Amino acid sequence: MNDRRQIRFGLAVPGSGINKWSWRHTSAPPDASVNFAYYRQLAQEAEAAKLDFLFMADGVIVERASPPHFLNRLEPLTALAALAAVTSKIGVVGTVATSFADPYTVARQFASLDKLSEGRAGWNLVTGDVAAAAENFTDLPYLPHDERYRVAEEHLAVVQGLWDSWEDDAFVYDKAQRIFADTSKLHTLDHRGEHFRVKGPLALQRSAQGQPVIFQAGQSEVGRDFAARHAGGIFAVGQTIENAKAYYADIKRRARAFGRSGPAPLIFPGMGAIIGGTIEEAERKLKAALEQPTLEEAIAFLSPAFNNHDFSRYDPDAPFPDVDAGEEASRGYSETIRRVAREEGLTLRETAQRFANPQSRFVGTPETVADEVQRWFEEEAVDGFILGVSGREEFTDFLGEVLPILRRRGLFREDYEHDTLRGHLGLDIPENRYAAGAVEAVA
Amino acid sequence: MTGHRQVRFGLAIPPTGINRWSWRHTDGPPDASVNLAFFREIALRAEAAKIDFLFVADGLIVSRRSPPHFLNRFEPLTILSSLAAITQRIGVVGTVTTSFADPFTVARQFASLDALSGGRAGWNLVTGDVADAAENFTDARYPPHDERYAIADEHLDVVQGLWDSWEDDAFMYDRERHVFADTSKLHTLDHRGLHFRVKGPLALQRSPQGQPVIFQAGASDVGRAFAARRADAIFSVSPDIGAAKAYYADIHRLAVAAGRAPEHAPLIFPAMGAIVGGSIEEAERKYRDLLAQPTVAEAVAQLGWAFSNHDFSQYDPDAPFPDLGDVGHDAARSTSDLIKRTAREEGLTLAQTAMRFSSPQQRFVGAPETIADTIQQWVDERASDGFMLAFTSREEVADFLEQVIPVLVARGVFRANYEQDTLRGHLGRAVPINRHGD
Repeated sequence: MNDRRQIRFGLAVPGSGINKWSWRHTSAPPDASVNFAYYRQLAQEAEAAKLDFLFMADGVIVERASPPHFLNRLEPLTALAALAAVTSKIGVVGTVATSFADPYTVARQFASLDKLSEGRAGWNLVTGDVAAAAENFTDLPYLPHDERYRVAEEHLAVVQGLWDSWEDDAFVYDKAQRIFADTSKLHTLDHRGEHFRVKGPLALQRSAQGQPVIFQAGQSEVGRDFAARHAGGIFAVGQTIENAKAYYADIKRRARAFGRSGPAPLIFPGMGAIIGGTIEEAERKLKAALEQPTLEEAIAFLSPAFNNHDFSRYDPDAPFPDVDAGEEASRGYSETIRRVAREEGLTLRETAQRFANPQSRFVGTPETVADEVQRWFEEEAVDGFILGVSGREEFTDFLGEVLPILRRRGLFREDYEHDTLRGHLGLDIPENRYAAGAVEAVA
Repeated sequence: MTGHRQVRFGLAIPPTGINRWSWRHTDGPPDASVNLAFFREIALRAEAAKIDFLFVADGLIVSRRSPPHFLNRFEPLTILSSLAAITQRIGVVGTVTTSFADPFTVARQFASLDALSGGRAGWNLVTGDVADAAENFTDARYPPHDERYAIADEHLDVVQGLWDSWEDDAFMYDRERHVFADTSKLHTLDHRGLHFRVKGPLALQRSPQGQPVIFQAGASDVGRAFAARRADAIFSVSPDIGAAKAYYADIHRLAVAAGRAPEHAPLIFPAMGAIVGGSIEEAERKYRDLLAQPTVAEAVAQLGWAFSNHDFSQYDPDAPFPDLGDVGHDAARSTSDLIKRTAREEGLTLAQTAMRFSSPQQRFVGAPETIADTIQQWVDERASDGFMLAFTSREEVADFLEQVIPVLVARGVFRANYEQDTLRGHLGRAVPINRHGD
């Protein structure tokens, strides 16, 4: 074991594609998003490659124009619980929106996932970013962006409070004295806040990692503060190494300002990788990938980041139109698109083709891609990456050809050295708030 | 074909019992309720014995007085998903209450379990727990018993409506023509009812069994009517074959009155335990040992679960069973009524009642052949269509699966192998037609 800081990798489990075209161009089954046998195979390959965690993103709306993966997919908690049963080391991280789920149910289902996986669960907390989603939940008001974060703050406090319901040494199992548990170590939260009233306690003990790891993807001012304060890991958007470094520095500065020490929050931009035997072959593959979508498909793909704005009404060869994403949209991503288009003077067509492919894509031979990954890591633009591959082949290429190089360079683990997700990520086990002498727990 | 009716079995997992003492007397791990390896072991044994389905019960509150299994346990949808991943054929059924879960989320999570298990999911729809559970859910109220069923009716309308969002032949996967799905076959529910407003659609296609199987446990008048009308299967509690036959006949009468064909009436699964011995005498000795496990104080405390956690320790255990009025009326009414009636009719003291009902479900006690005879009698005489097996130890599971099941298989009344891949297939229930289909 060397003491060097190591790169960490999550795999965004690829389904049938979050764009409309990649399903046509991959060897993955077209029903990948609902094909558990396929998910199991990917999960086991990712675990054999010693990746840190699997990640399942989520959303709760669908319409006829949605991309294939959104039309028909497994729900994260059930799918992750199934994957946890067929793996033994790799972390299992899923998205749940605080706007659309009771904190008691969120706490319970993630605690159950954490316990059955023996400490491998993570919750990607999103606030719920599409107004239409609220229409699936009776009486739910749709809140403005910053207000959603205030609700999320209280939601998370309830969830983490419920997770500590049992002190770790409560279960004694003393048959002779007929003591199953020391119930004085069961604590009732009795939360009464502005948005939630939740009594507790939760009938589930803490796992080997104490509590599930909190992931977040804050981009706005409010979102960055939230993530810097609470998250163990952040899913970031980084188009260039410069803006990734700026984001990295900003988050770490905010985290220190909140009094946090240690590595958290770890920053994971999404990345894809196109690998070729030569640079030329890789560039040929990239060109083929860029030509997969029709122009209409690429332009439509921009729309979700802009609150489903219809871009088809603009001239594709005129400069990228000045569209305000609006207060309610997922601001971070739309602002990135606008900035890049503005700074590079792109047309709508060029912008659409650029963003039709995953962000931070590395293109080259295994060695040059490994070099780039290393550079981003060593220059403190990232702590690791979420592999957002758009097909079976990219995944296999990256695991089979790039990871071995990073391993030889001492930048990625040869084998798992821990059993829990917190262990893989180097995050501390949070102390139970009720334990004797406990200080205030952190994420 | 033997002329006898086929028997079906569910197995409650984990086999820990819901009392305060069985954890001391089992060879299972003391943390059985949160031990995935133990769940896996039992699930694989059950599947090897070709049991129809595994069942994970649930409840939403815990207090310092709760029995061990309630203090610390897995949540049903997550643990059932894990079990589905490590089994191939056996059904996976779990409890979720309509009072404290959004229909959209219930529909989605059960549809996901159904998809990843290849059509093996079942939802045991319950309308509540105890009133205290509402305190875990901001702004939730706990309506009275009958109103809960009205809400459940609409909740189930929404869930089943969402499950039909996609027609079965919608997914084309035509790479040449760029057609992933025929989205004209995606339907928006747009439900606007008295209790719920849910737009939909649900982004999950139907499984090979069409929709998850609906289980229910209605025993009150309103509950029976609901179950007879809407359930595919019913979990019941009957003290003897006479009561079971009356319940069975009543459910069938109500189902037909609600317009269901007699063969579509819900399957009825009374809860059942079994104490298997090499001889009748050995079985009876095991049974006496089992009844002697709790202390009187434990047995008295245990009674509370059927009475909204009523504290029975305030009464003299040797006085006649107390007059409780309406206590228990709003919770597990069928069980609490049975306990009250039995105590009154037999003139039992509180202690006697507590010891009698320390194991509330029916138990068949005897040699394997004797138990098989009793099972066949119940099924042939239409007291049940099968049984919900509720054991309190690993040994009880092994005894039943290894000694009683082979007798039933040899008699041709239980399957030697799975003949179907889905839970509906095992239970002989038709795949529901999609409401939007031709």
